[in-house]
Amino acid sequence: MQVHRSTSRRISFALAAVTALALVGTSIPANAFSPRSEVGVSGSTIKLGITVPLTGAAAPGYNKVPYAMKAYFDYVNANGGVNGRKIQLVIKDDAYSPSLAKSATNDLILKDKVFALVGTLGTANNEATTKFVNDHKVPRLFINTGFSGFANTKKYPTTFPLFPSYAMEAKIMGKYIADNFPGKKVALIYQDDDFGADALKGFAAAGTTLVAKIPYASASQSDPTVVGKWITTIVGAQADVAIMFGVSSATAAALGGAYKAGLAGKIQWILGSVGSDPTTIKALAPTAVPLLNGAIAASFLPSPADTSDEYVAQFREINAKYNNNAVFDNNVLVGMNTGMLAVQALRAAGKNLTRASLMAAISAKGASWSSAAFSPILYSGTSHVGYAGYWFGRLSASGDSTPVDGAGKYVLYTTDSGSGAVVKSAIKRPAMPEKGLPNN
Amino acid sequence: MHKKFIASPALRLGAFALLGFLLILISGFVDELRVYQGAEVAVYVVAIASITLLTGYSGQLSLGHGAIMAIGAYAATLSFNGWHIPWLLALAVGAVAGAIAGYILGFAAARLSGPYLAGTTLALAVGVPSLANQFHVLGGEQGLTFDIGDVPQWASNSWLAKVGGGDFTTYKWFYWITVPIALATIWIVRNILSGPLGRRFKAMRSHPTAASLIGIHVSRTKVVAFTYSSSLAGLAGAMLAMILGLSAPLVFTLTLSFTLVTGAVLSGVSNLYGGIIGAMVLVAIPELSASVATHLGGSEKVTANLPGVVTSLLLILTVLILPNGAKVGRSK
Repeated sequence: MQVHRSTSRRISFALAAVTALALVGTSIPANAFSPRSEVGVSGSTIKLGITVPLTGAAAPGYNKVPYAMKAYFDYVNANGGVNGRKIQLVIKDDAYSPSLAKSATNDLILKDKVFALVGTLGTANNEATTKFVNDHKVPRLFINTGFSGFANTKKYPTTFPLFPSYAMEAKIMGKYIADNFPGKKVALIYQDDDFGADALKGFAAAGTTLVAKIPYASASQSDPTVVGKWITTIVGAQADVAIMFGVSSATAAALGGAYKAGLAGKIQWILGSVGSDPTTIKALAPTAVPLLNGAIAASFLPSPADTSDEYVAQFREINAKYNNNAVFDNNVLVGMNTGMLAVQALRAAGKNLTRASLMAAISAKGASWSSAAFSPILYSGTSHVGYAGYWFGRLSASGDSTPVDGAGKYVLYTTDSGSGAVVKSAIKRPAMPEKGLPNN
Repeated sequence: MHKKFIASPALRLGAFALLGFLLILISGFVDELRVYQGAEVAVYVVAIASITLLTGYSGQLSLGHGAIMAIGAYAATLSFNGWHIPWLLALAVGAVAGAIAGYILGFAAARLSGPYLAGTTLALAVGVPSLANQFHVLGGEQGLTFDIGDVPQWASNSWLAKVGGGDFTTYKWFYWITVPIALATIWIVRNILSGPLGRRFKAMRSHPTAASLIGIHVSRTKVVAFTYSSSLAGLAGAMLAMILGLSAPLVFTLTLSFTLVTGAVLSGVSNLYGGIIGAMVLVAIPELSASVATHLGGSEKVTANLPGVVTSLLLILTVLILPNGAKVGRSK
């Protein structure tokens, strides 16, 4: 017994010593002995970081975004990089959980020592990390959420939202419904956090009457009884039009549930931009396909199937070569488009890259950069609002989206996150730079 | 050999104070990530102490301490945001809320033992955090922010803050708060357990029938054990919410409850000081497994799931190889 005890004690001390040594060892920064420069920037590299759900209920679809972005960076790196530096992207999984996003962001900023965050995903997740990001003055670029609050430069001084806000999207959707489905009963399913609250704000601004408002807790879409309740509520309210304002897995669950309840062809579905990626929905719920056919979806980027679009065509080429030819969908398009904006921002910040020079460059020049979206970019010295417009497409059974109105042409609606009017706007998009390589 | 090591209460108090001072001093010389991890270790030390008190000393098993931590976290957050009380008081509210929950749970526990108690507490771990989605005041999946604000002037201007020279960050402030609390917790629990209550706990653990024959009210003592242990879990939950800046259901998952048990088993479940090693290992696992995964060229998904695998393996291996845990100092 004594022998056993002393052995166990020896093992335990060894365990403690190894743990302590390993921690101390990894705490010495890699560039401890090089001259002081901006965090995450060396003579030959720029380190960026992203948090996204790679696992968990919200992962399907969105888990493609960082790899598409990385593929675009690899393409740029292979063509000389940015001012002679290669871009490295550190990808961290947060499972769409705010607390995991917090620890992943800790790691990105304190351990990986990234220069900036780019495309971090989720409203609640970005909120959870805000204080820490602000304290360290880390630029947070082109975040993957449309919560209108992120454009508040006092509260989020280093954050540059890109997507049109959910408030804008809901307001534009409300106007579209009033014009095209007058007198119809409208029901809304929405994620019950700031994402959904922002949408409610937009529908209120548009004056949309909702016969049923169905909130759901994020991740509860994987529970069939929850989804069953959505559908019975919609049926009970005798809705003609159902709006889905959630992530792709929630849209798939709703459409699959509606099909099971025999609602195919009986209700007009309108899908928010967050959760309307057809390839993701089809993969998650094959039974949803009959309902996908004819559904209307709001988008700010061109249809990924539209190969006549110069951005789509170029990104598809890069995708084939640098992204293992992944199925080219909205998620890939978002990832590459975000990557292209990030490259333009880094180029504009100049050779002496600092966090401050990066943010100044976006404010000063961001509005003129090339991007795939039909909406203009509204960055300025006083505004962190990115895109501000949507077009509506009708999905086919194969998932391709074609513009609903304008005889096959994209029709753009723009507005603001407040009480401003929704207007049809001309599309004035900068041309795709040659070979998709920014020359700003 | 070190039977008498820091045996005198006065000497022990002095040793704790000195250790606390040294730990605070060290915070000036390590980088911010380590400071944050230090604060995490402090939180785990308190949480593991709650398991040690309950399981190690009184012989009750709880797989639901993550839920008690959630109760403490939400109580602290709601009282801080709603009543605008000082953060230290909010942490105390968390401990009190945990104690109340533990008191109620104790009555159920007094009638149960072994697998039935494990099952009941497990149900609690599954059910309680999802309550946040049912009541709007709890903030749903997104949770509630718990922001204690900027570092106070007196702390950042103190001479101690200047040691080592680095910036006085929020994370360092969290470290300054949590480390003394963790040390005070160990000191207080150590004193309680070496007194009459500790002896009643141990009598009950070793032989409940014999304990009741010598006049120990077994069910009442179980309730007391649950109350004391849960107040520590509530405090740990409040501290965790503070350093995360957030109370959200996904912070207090089933995994957290199991992680705490792993930490306690690892440190020798009846060993209060061993909890420090247990806590350090728990904090180190995600980081060490991430660097292992990176060196082996694994994908981000492997990195995300490896810590869970390592924690489970560690629990199994500890039970097989070190049934008495990684012992440090004296255990009873």
